[in-house]
Amino acid sequence: MNTLTSFFSLLIFPAGLTLLLAGMFYDWFDRKLVARFQNRVGPRWFQPIADVIKLFAKEQITPGIKNPALFFGLPIVALSGALAAALYVPLLGFAPVHSFPGDLIVTIYLLSLLTICMGLAGWNTSSRFSLIGATRALTQVFAYEAPFLLALLGPAMAAGSWQIDVINDYARDHWFAISQPVGFIIALIGLMGKLELPPFDAPEAETEIVAGALTEYSGRGLAIFRIAKALELVVGITLVSAFYLGGLQGVVPFFVKTLAVLFLMTIFQVLLTRLRIDQTVGLWWRFGTILVLAQLLITILWKGGLL
Amino acid sequence: MNINNNQLWVKVIKKVRAWARLNSIWAVHFNSGSCNGCDIEILATLTPRYDVERFGIKLEGSPRHADILIVTGPVTRQARERLLRTYEQMPEPKFVVSVGSCSVSGGVFHGCYNVGGSVDEVIPVDVFIPGCPPRPEAIIDGIIQLLTHLKDGNPRPARKEQIIERGVA
Repeated sequence: MNTLTSFFSLLIFPAGLTLLLAGMFYDWFDRKLVARFQNRVGPRWFQPIADVIKLFAKEQITPGIKNPALFFGLPIVALSGALAAALYVPLLGFAPVHSFPGDLIVTIYLLSLLTICMGLAGWNTSSRFSLIGATRALTQVFAYEAPFLLALLGPAMAAGSWQIDVINDYARDHWFAISQPVGFIIALIGLMGKLELPPFDAPEAETEIVAGALTEYSGRGLAIFRIAKALELVVGITLVSAFYLGGLQGVVPFFVKTLAVLFLMTIFQVLLTRLRIDQTVGLWWRFGTILVLAQLLITILWKGGLL
Repeated sequence: MNINNNQLWVKVIKKVRAWARLNSIWAVHFNSGSCNGCDIEILATLTPRYDVERFGIKLEGSPRHADILIVTGPVTRQARERLLRTYEQMPEPKFVVSVGSCSVSGGVFHGCYNVGGSVDEVIPVDVFIPGCPPRPEAIIDGIIQLLTHLKDGNPRPARKEQIIERGVA
């Protein structure tokens, strides 16, 4: 029975099928909103599904690569990282399947797996575009990862726990977006950097380096990377809105809050132009990290009763 | 393993695959020596006024991600190798759309010392879109023609001679 429940939670809900469909939906919602902001009609509701099925049905070319095993293995590792991260977040407003003290750190590591895999994938091929894309992707990891983690630690410290479930419950009565506004904005922008959305899309800048680290991927590998990215979008948004927007209890609050966060991210996407990679790194370390450290200091002082 | 083509699941999978291919078309744009007129019209096709993303058509940077190759201009001697390589980098199934009179027949550049000829002398072309430059409506129409013929199950190139006989190009 226990094995059966584990398989169910891995393959159907919350990881697996439900997460896949949610990922497709959020991907479409993002594209549709961007289109509407640009005064376009935008893609139809089944567009991401059609894209993925088409990519799976296409030929997968194996270009001149250094390590074929890595070439085929990396997309799968990236996808499994995103799927595993879904087990620790309150997806669709239900309690996480697995929960232990400190799972916040594990989730953040699992979410970084996609970027690391993309960096390795770019390094593995001999194309110069994917090599530059990989360098930029890995540089960007060092830029946003620390501020993003610190921004998520703000609510964790206030709640007195590093367990996502506990923080989610604590956040029900505490809207951290109001009490820690700096942390909220930095977590939001950090998530955009993680997902390489504009204005942080220098690693896959179409106008400069074709498609970044994934230039040489076609067919199945590309499809799996795209799915992994869509899943990471859902898991990341769930994490940020659970921490900062009063917790996620129930299906309706989940959709309202996560779609509101996605809406905010889309506004940033269409308003801002692409930053150069040195501007991205500078922005994070000169402003992001300093501000969020100040926020953490205030939280610690308040927690210790000094404020 | 023997796969019988008449089995239900095979048919269903084929249907789903055909549906996905028709509804998600990623294009890569290659200028093989065009005067830039057709390229501007292709960009106009992607702008909010015509918005081809509602049909699932998207411009991709990498030929490895693309389904159709949009070629503009006559093929110059220098661009010939690059055009071939771009075409060969694309994964199957792939289609070629040649946009503009120059890519159909060489156009005003026909017989130039540095021009090799039309696109279909280098790679197999599925749809020809004549015009100098063709309007975005014409480009969308050409791609829709490609889609309808794919739907019927016969990917065919419009015969170049027919177009020239009609006096369009």
